[in-house]
Amino acid sequence: MYWLRRAWAELRTEVFVLPSRTLVLVWALALLALPAVYADAYVLRILTMTCLFAIVAASWDLLAGYTGQVNFGHALFFGAGAYTTALLSLRLGIPPWLSVWAGAAVAMVFGFVVGFLCLRLRGSYLSLATLAFPLIALGILFAFPDFSGGELGMSGLRRLAVSPTANYYIAVLAMLAVVFGLWLLADSKFGIVLHAIRDDEVAVRASGINTLKYKLIVFAISGAAAGFAGALFAHSLRVAGPSTLETALSFQVVIWGIFGGLATIYGPVAAVFVLYPLTEWLGTFRTFGELRLLIFAVIVLLVLLFMPRGLAPWVRDKVETACPRCKQRNGAWRSVCRLCGAALKTQVAGAKGFVGHQ
Amino acid sequence: MIRSIGLAAALALATSVAWAQGTIKIAIVGPMAFVQGEHHWNGAQMARDEINKAGGISVGGKRMQIELIRGDTNEILSVPDATNTMERVITRDGADFVIGGFRSEAVLAMQEVAMDHKKLFLGVGAAHSKLGANVEADYDRYKYWFRVAPTKDVDLARTLFAVMGSIAQQIRSELKTETPKVALLAEKAVWTEGLIKAAQKNLPAMKMEVVGLWQPSATATDVTAELAAIDRSGAHIVFTILSGPVGISVGRQMGERNMKAVAWGINVEAQKEEFWQAAAGKAQFVSTLDTYAEVEMTPKTIPFVKAYEARFNKAPTYTAATYDAIHLLKSAIEKAGTTDADKLVAVIEKMEHVGTGSTATWDKRHDLIWAVGKTAGIAVQWQDGKKVPFWPPSVKGMKPFKMPAR
Amino acid sequence: MIQDIFVTGLVNSGVYALLAIGFSLIFGVARIVNIAHTAFYMLAAYCFYTLLVKVGMNFVAAALLAVGGVTLLSVLCYRLIIEPVREHEAAVLIATIALALIFQELMLYTFGGSFLGVPSTLEGSMRVFGVSVPYQRLLILVVAIVVLAGVWYLLYRTRLGLAIRSTANDIEVANLMGMNVHRIAMVTVAISVALAAVAGVVVSPVFVVDPFMWLAPLVTMLAIVVLGGLGSIKGSLIGAIIIGYVEAITVFALPGGAYLKGAVALLIMVIVLLVRPEGLFGVAFEEER
Repeated sequence: MYWLRRAWAELRTEVFVLPSRTLVLVWALALLALPAVYADAYVLRILTMTCLFAIVAASWDLLAGYTGQVNFGHALFFGAGAYTTALLSLRLGIPPWLSVWAGAAVAMVFGFVVGFLCLRLRGSYLSLATLAFPLIALGILFAFPDFSGGELGMSGLRRLAVSPTANYYIAVLAMLAVVFGLWLLADSKFGIVLHAIRDDEVAVRASGINTLKYKLIVFAISGAAAGFAGALFAHSLRVAGPSTLETALSFQVVIWGIFGGLATIYGPVAAVFVLYPLTEWLGTFRTFGELRLLIFAVIVLLVLLFMPRGLAPWVRDKVETACPRCKQRNGAWRSVCRLCGAALKTQVAGAKGFVGHQ
Repeated sequence: MIRSIGLAAALALATSVAWAQGTIKIAIVGPMAFVQGEHHWNGAQMARDEINKAGGISVGGKRMQIELIRGDTNEILSVPDATNTMERVITRDGADFVIGGFRSEAVLAMQEVAMDHKKLFLGVGAAHSKLGANVEADYDRYKYWFRVAPTKDVDLARTLFAVMGSIAQQIRSELKTETPKVALLAEKAVWTEGLIKAAQKNLPAMKMEVVGLWQPSATATDVTAELAAIDRSGAHIVFTILSGPVGISVGRQMGERNMKAVAWGINVEAQKEEFWQAAAGKAQFVSTLDTYAEVEMTPKTIPFVKAYEARFNKAPTYTAATYDAIHLLKSAIEKAGTTDADKLVAVIEKMEHVGTGSTATWDKRHDLIWAVGKTAGIAVQWQDGKKVPFWPPSVKGMKPFKMPAR
Repeated sequence: MIQDIFVTGLVNSGVYALLAIGFSLIFGVARIVNIAHTAFYMLAAYCFYTLLVKVGMNFVAAALLAVGGVTLLSVLCYRLIIEPVREHEAAVLIATIALALIFQELMLYTFGGSFLGVPSTLEGSMRVFGVSVPYQRLLILVVAIVVLAGVWYLLYRTRLGLAIRSTANDIEVANLMGMNVHRIAMVTVAISVALAAVAGVVVSPVFVVDPFMWLAPLVTMLAIVVLGGLGSIKGSLIGAIIIGYVEAITVFALPGGAYLKGAVALLIMVIVLLVRPEGLFGVAFEEER
């Protein structure tokens, strides 16, 4: 009973006061309730894919948005998770429930390695170096086709659950858990250090913080999350092939991240939920279905021109304002900050005549 | 007068009754933005128009028309797109049967979706043996899959060596060499491994010498290195095992270098009509395994090829066998008297279907049973901008194989 | 075989140098990582194909028109799409990715996914050091050398070149010195894309033309500029030579391993970066605040 009251108090004070958080709650509930209302296998399949890609996008944001390590080869972690679970499940007969965790673990190791190799690299050098890693991995996979299945990959993986609805729930719950976890991490003291590393690594080192440790940890966590998504993806599609390591996928992740809004976690997730079903839906049209990648790119460009910081921050700015004194966000309809009482909208109407006077 | 009006009225009534009776929905899935998908759809359209005009399919006495659903899988670029499309055509658009597929990695995933929904999936395009092996390993789940074209990858080898033997004979008599030299030029890919090993084993037994193995990448655009080395080795035949655009570079650069060796093997790009232009008119004498030409493989081949060319202004490639697949379905449905998938599986397993490119029968893996003149395909050679069929000699319409002047 | 490697490596390097130097120029002056660089190269190849094969022009006219047209298009794209989002580095990045995708899809839609062959400008071949080299490849090499010499002359012997170099060095001071940095950035974009377009035109007869031909050279080109040091012209040239030869050696020395040439080039890049994080000749910029 106490927990219920506590939960309700939390909701009232933390969630409902901000339209953006309310929206997130509504969205999460809608996702969870969907199969009860509309259990179309096709829609469930699309949303399952969307949830898995959302995990990847969120993990990329932690790495690139918060820590400033703009990773152009995120597909490496995704593919590592997929291939690991495929190998363990097909060659050693390990049940999928275990092998997906192994997939995440191996991807975490890859994260460490990539992070270690990129410790001294900055900016564009880092981005372009990370671009190379999935391609080198592909070369190695093709060099040992008996081990990796070459260009065909490995097929015949078992599903995690039998019905599409169960698979859907696995994906949704995984996504909510991982994304929320990443968001909590980013919102904590750990996240502040990451932000600082992005803005001025030298100053952070000068403050006595071991940036190497933080960068390695972030690479590892980001890799683990993406690898987890990759493993789930492989079991969902029942095939793990070189398409999981493609540069196109890495670029897609970058687009989602920047389109949604860097350094937000929820931004890229929103971007995936908007863009992926949209491109799928466009693909169903006979007349311009073949142009859907083109339409996608044009949409991305247009949104960039009008919302250069990304979709989520733009939407948020429309429904919320930041208090000038305590910097906390408030609903846009409020005139007084909910926490410190400062005036949110300054009275400028009468000051027009004073321009130039001070 | 009255009789003809009566006849016309009866016909009108009959067709409207036929229309009112319902449709059989067949989904055609393939990479529609690319050549393979284009031919998938074209072949299917021809079959549908022909069958519907003749009255449709008779399902236990009821006449039903065919309705095609076009599914663009985009499989060449994205495997999840392909499975999404499969799910959509089956659950959303209500397809009763699915035909098509091309990229093996994608078709393996697509097969899973079709089997989940217990829909008959007729493969027209992917050669990977695993698709058939699945049927043998788990019959109850995978029995709804049948491969209509091409023969599985292992059987392609048998055709290749049969033709190789015939070319070798020609070389022996024309060039007076006892053991023709063969250079293996195979793209680095899993599907070529089996063929390479088979070549290394069989060719010496066929009194031919293997002078080397070169493996460019499937997307390589420059094969100067390989061709220079092949030139130095003095090979008479270049045995090509290529499916990617490297096939175009090979054709073009062999012509530009005026190589004396002749190219034979699998060269998927060389099967396409656009190949001559893509190789800038240089790919003289390049020969490859193929499916369709104006030869009498079966009595239906020449009329089909001619009608296809008249309607679509290009010659069909092997993915146009969706035409055969639909006719096969029609025969099976009419024989079984129902569209129930399980009953149809039993009927197709025992069928012999005379198609346009082959006379097809199936084994227990639901793969085509290989036989020269029936399912083995034909061999064609590019001569002066045209694909000229030259094998098997038993089929009417074959022309002689030509070699570069020495 | 040594001669094969020598000649092939030289030709490869020429092409890569054209691409890499253009990319380096844009990055050095405007700090833009132009992912669409090789997409312009692809556009020029398609333009050349259309003018040559469909319209029936002669080689020189088709080449000049293709290069000119693509250069103009690039300036247009820069003004309309890149300039408005210049301040947000991340946005510029995906703007160029989106642009490349748009070009790819337009080409896919207009010409279809099949491969196109462009007739060679020069037929026949000659023997160089005992290696049979097609004239077309020699043409590529000659054009590359001439164009690179022209760029060197432009950068080091003209006032415009001086302006470009100083903007690359320190954009704020250049602005203070009275140079119109926006105009210089635009001119640099034009020159850089023109280089890529020239590469597309001379190389298209040797390769196959398809809507995805921009991806493979993109990766190799990025490896080269990173290896040589972003923003350094000398570095890009030397990087191009190194990677061009690495690829030639991989292909000739390992006949079964030709498919690895991309991965090997990237591996070399990663190794160099581990030792020198700014690339061979890159300048470690002061953290720009």
